[in-house]
Amino acid sequence: MKTTRRALRTIIRSPLRTGLLVAVLMVSIGLTLIMITVNEAFGARLDEIKGEVGSNITVRPAGSFGGGFIVSIPVGSSDADSATQGNTLSSTLAEEDVDEISSIDHVASVSLRITVPYAGEGLESAIEPPSGLAAEGADVPQGVMVVGPPVMVTGIDDPSTLTTLGVEDAEITSGRTFTEDEAEANVAVVGEDLAEKNDLLLGDTFELEGETIEVIGIYTTGTQFGDNGLFMPLKTIQSLFDREDEIDEAVVRADNVDHVEAVADAIRDTLGEDTADVTTEASRFESISAPVADAEDSSRVAMIAAFAASAAVILFSVGMVARQRVKEIGIFKAIGASNWHVIAQFAIETAVVSIVAALIGALATFPLAQTVANGLVSDPAAPAGPVGIAGPGGGAVFEGPPAQLQGAGGFLGDVDVAVSPEVFLYALGIAVGLAVVASIVPAWYVARVKPAEVLRYE
Amino acid sequence: MNDGQQGEDPYVAVAEGLTKHFKSGPVVVRAVDGVSFRVPRGRIVALRGPSGCGKSTLLNLMGALDRPDAGRLTVDGVDVSRLSGPGEVAYRRRKVGFVFQQFNLVPELSAIENVILPMEFVGKGTNGASRAWAGELLERVGIPQDRHGRRPAKLSGGEQQRVAIARALANDPPILLADEPTANLDSRTGRLIVQLLHSLRDDNRTVVIATHDEAIAAKADLTLEMSDGRLVPG
Repeated sequence: MKTTRRALRTIIRSPLRTGLLVAVLMVSIGLTLIMITVNEAFGARLDEIKGEVGSNITVRPAGSFGGGFIVSIPVGSSDADSATQGNTLSSTLAEEDVDEISSIDHVASVSLRITVPYAGEGLESAIEPPSGLAAEGADVPQGVMVVGPPVMVTGIDDPSTLTTLGVEDAEITSGRTFTEDEAEANVAVVGEDLAEKNDLLLGDTFELEGETIEVIGIYTTGTQFGDNGLFMPLKTIQSLFDREDEIDEAVVRADNVDHVEAVADAIRDTLGEDTADVTTEASRFESISAPVADAEDSSRVAMIAAFAASAAVILFSVGMVARQRVKEIGIFKAIGASNWHVIAQFAIETAVVSIVAALIGALATFPLAQTVANGLVSDPAAPAGPVGIAGPGGGAVFEGPPAQLQGAGGFLGDVDVAVSPEVFLYALGIAVGLAVVASIVPAWYVARVKPAEVLRYE
Repeated sequence: MNDGQQGEDPYVAVAEGLTKHFKSGPVVVRAVDGVSFRVPRGRIVALRGPSGCGKSTLLNLMGALDRPDAGRLTVDGVDVSRLSGPGEVAYRRRKVGFVFQQFNLVPELSAIENVILPMEFVGKGTNGASRAWAGELLERVGIPQDRHGRRPAKLSGGEQQRVAIARALANDPPILLADEPTANLDSRTGRLIVQLLHSLRDDNRTVVIATHDEAIAAKADLTLEMSDGRLVPG
């Protein structure tokens, strides 16, 4: 306590020395604080992305990826009369495959989906084909009839989440989704654009594959493609399109995000890569999070460099001060101070000066942290908005990142270096600890001097 | 107070063949070269000689600020020549008080805080008793109370040396070592300081004054004459 009081008195009563020391430490500690904070922010953002990516695994029939905007229907094909293609262009998963998936360890749930691009009677697509191709005399291969993009008819067994190719969690604007009791009912939740195109309102009916379907809900996704579809119970779709026991897509949820890759590998082993394409959201987002990960690596290197530079600066400046005060130390020892007294006083003085310097440094430099963080991200203008077009046969999509990962200027711009009390205290503790440790070395060295030598030459 | 006790050694310091050499490049400086002496308790002893004769080095050895290369030195029953570590620190705290030519007060501390400092090192807190004792010492050496709170820079040279003497007395040591205590003072102030040092004899305290001033030496009870690191007949 006496040593602390003496140290504080010494600090206050040497304003010039204290001021200069605070200035030097402020810059070096401030730099370290920035880099610690930025590194923490990148780490937190990566954790956030990882959390948002979730624990879903998508299983689709092998080779189902591909396709594009234009739907081409072979003229004269055996299915041309019905003008449906979902069961002609790709293989499907069987329900026994789903049973095998369900039995894998760490699988929490499996939801199933079947998607049929429908261009038959009863429903007219809300999207017109591009005018150049639809016009008379357009350059279209012989034997091919051009129609608009098909209506996406999706059967799902989990009515709580209206998700299909290119559509994440559609929002019901009127009516309702179907219930578990309606697992085989002829009911549909129809996209807003499709309903408008076909003059469908809640409670109206329309014909699909010879059956009468009731509109029980209207949804919107905010996109033209997303709203050109409808959701119906899985079993109803399987029955309507003669696809009993067939599945286009299974969304498997692992019980823990850390088990996602293990479960995905197990599914690949179980079904075989010839049967199913297994993708995890984690792998899908790897490229998306790469700039943040790169920036985190860069900030870690910068943090270590700043840390080393700060240690050197603190060691040097505290060493200089200790050297300047070597006579004072000699006097202390001549009148009875132990080495411990000298070291303790120096450590306390340095700790106090460091805390003051760190606080001032933090206030002065933290506003720059966001700028530093933005500078470290190589691609702050990442693609925004959902990307992807549903292709035929339940495949042919590239789905962009979920909306919650995207900010107004792209999701990478959302790295937030706002300083929480925890991060601030953590950074402050490291900076002050560094200063104190750095101060002990010169203090210990100086404390070992022989008083007679110091006083003789001073 | 450092009251004498019956039956204690009449000599507070005894040196036998005390030697301290320094190397200065290829040259060996024989600062203290086989010195032997006995210092009676409760006396004023002048250690006289020209600059560079080894007076300060001998005082440093007596104050355990330096270690001898050879020989033996006993101060108040403690074999100083064998001290190291905690024993050395304890000796400096309890057995000796040092007064320097350049005062060597801690500039950030006030006069009274400088006097309290050695007491803090022996574990006495800055409680009322310590502060009262420090104030009493300052009064005794002639520093009025209104100057106790002043920092050294606000005191005259004579006042600073008085504060240094009070600090040296803080832990009531049996021997006080003063290294050229008047060298940085005008002659009148110097005389007052010498008078002050002489007054300490009343406490049965031994005062060893290193000086090249013959007037100071003339007033001492005993004079040890030094030349080239050796004691010579006066």
